[in-house]
Amino acid sequence: MMNIKRVISTIEKNYILSNLKKGERIDGRGLWDYRDWTVKCDVITSAEGSSEVTLGDTKVITGLKYEVGPPFPDLPNEGVCTFMAELLPLASPLFERGPPDEQSIELARVVDRGIRHADCVQTKKLCIKENEMVYILFVDIYVINYSGNLIDAGGISALSALISSQIPEGKWVDGNVEWTGNYLTGETIVNELPMVVTYGKIGDMIFLDPSLPEELVCDGMLSISVTENKLASIQKSGTATFSMEEIEMLVKKSMELAKKIIKELNLWQYKR
Amino acid sequence: MPLIIKDEYPEKLFREDGKRLDGRDKHELRPIKMEVGVLENADGSAYLEWGNNKIYAAVYGPREVHPHHLAKPDKGILRVFYRMATFSVFERKRPAPGRREKEISMVVTDCLDPVLFLELYPGTSFEVFINVMDADGGTRCASTTVAALALADAGIPMRSLVSAVAMGKIDGELITDLSGIEDKAGEADLPCAITWFNEELSLLQFDGTMDIKEFSECLVLAKEALNKIHEIQLEALKKKYIDIQEQYKGGEKGA
Repeated sequence: MMNIKRVISTIEKNYILSNLKKGERIDGRGLWDYRDWTVKCDVITSAEGSSEVTLGDTKVITGLKYEVGPPFPDLPNEGVCTFMAELLPLASPLFERGPPDEQSIELARVVDRGIRHADCVQTKKLCIKENEMVYILFVDIYVINYSGNLIDAGGISALSALISSQIPEGKWVDGNVEWTGNYLTGETIVNELPMVVTYGKIGDMIFLDPSLPEELVCDGMLSISVTENKLASIQKSGTATFSMEEIEMLVKKSMELAKKIIKELNLWQYKR
Repeated sequence: MPLIIKDEYPEKLFREDGKRLDGRDKHELRPIKMEVGVLENADGSAYLEWGNNKIYAAVYGPREVHPHHLAKPDKGILRVFYRMATFSVFERKRPAPGRREKEISMVVTDCLDPVLFLELYPGTSFEVFINVMDADGGTRCASTTVAALALADAGIPMRSLVSAVAMGKIDGELITDLSGIEDKAGEADLPCAITWFNEELSLLQFDGTMDIKEFSECLVLAKEALNKIHEIQLEALKKKYIDIQEQYKGGEKGA
């Protein structure tokens, strides 16, 4: 998220840094604390799955829509799940109108990779007829209020939309798709629950879940997506460099944190 | 063949008991909930739930004009951007803004312009971003209503609020506040907005068939509905300050 141009005063940066050196954050958190999470699901009537997630003051709404169509030739019996993110200009004066910029593409891609490589979405269950017809899921993330760390909020929001989804079940009858009268739900579609955990780095200080001022002054960020016992994806952004030891430590920490947060949020309660 | 379940409309839009499909009487509004000051980064903001419609509006301004050549030396400019979320409709909308969204943006801009004192802000712009997260008919009216609230929340001098509602005709009967199904399957749709400082119509569109008598009747009925919507807007604006007052009374913020 480093392409944001906003002047932040040296004194503010120094204040954030001197607090971090004492192991404190300007909002009173410890170095390894998340801000408060809230998750609400099934908030959009028109969507097949949806969620509204807040992380501190950051707020995202994600909706899931489906279409059916031919599969990719190299994956004839697998459905498709795509992710898009929009940084709405109403969410921050830093966001501008127009086609998706680097920041929104990075958000969508990091969330996508975190979920794709975690054995989360069961794409084989999204096949209606091999070589002919599969589901295409669109998971679209909209940022409503930007207050730092969109990646973690977007990740949980996308996952909750998938879990709370309810998609008409189709069967293949004489070259056509017909509705069976039943629905595919999150229970069928979703297997593992991955979580992206993002850290910021200023100087040699590393901390969890950067808030907006921290994100604006930090040298770089590291987003690590993990499931309960496996690593799924990593994204380093910004100009900061991380030592091997730091990265190993953060991967371990991510697994502990993801386990704890996923348990606390109890996302399976939102399945329909 | 993009979807498994087709978007089909019933033949009759009234139930046996004479009520509309969602259980409303002919001139009953859907439940409306409004709240202001919902987005911390914006200069003014509002959120509206109108039946199944869920809409956010945010105002930024007065601020520098981008691109610069749009700036006017003698007055500020108002720009409204109406956008729908991809998942707000039955069939997924493409993410890029379409013709419909651009037209509605223009219509709403022109509707809100008369209530602002733009001549006080030469060389600047006010930008209103309206995002429809869930849509179920009447979004341009709901958007106008919530955008007016967001402008008021931003503390921008205004001649008055603006309220809007869609009137219509289904199965030969005039109705107030069309839902999504009634809009698509009905005979006529008449969205209108009123600027309260002169009680004149600032947004007016009409699609369908109606005779002149019905049209006049519609305008009278619209006024009744608009009065109710105006009341809800005023309540929402006052509520923000009542809430602040309560906080201080309760001692949460200290003396």
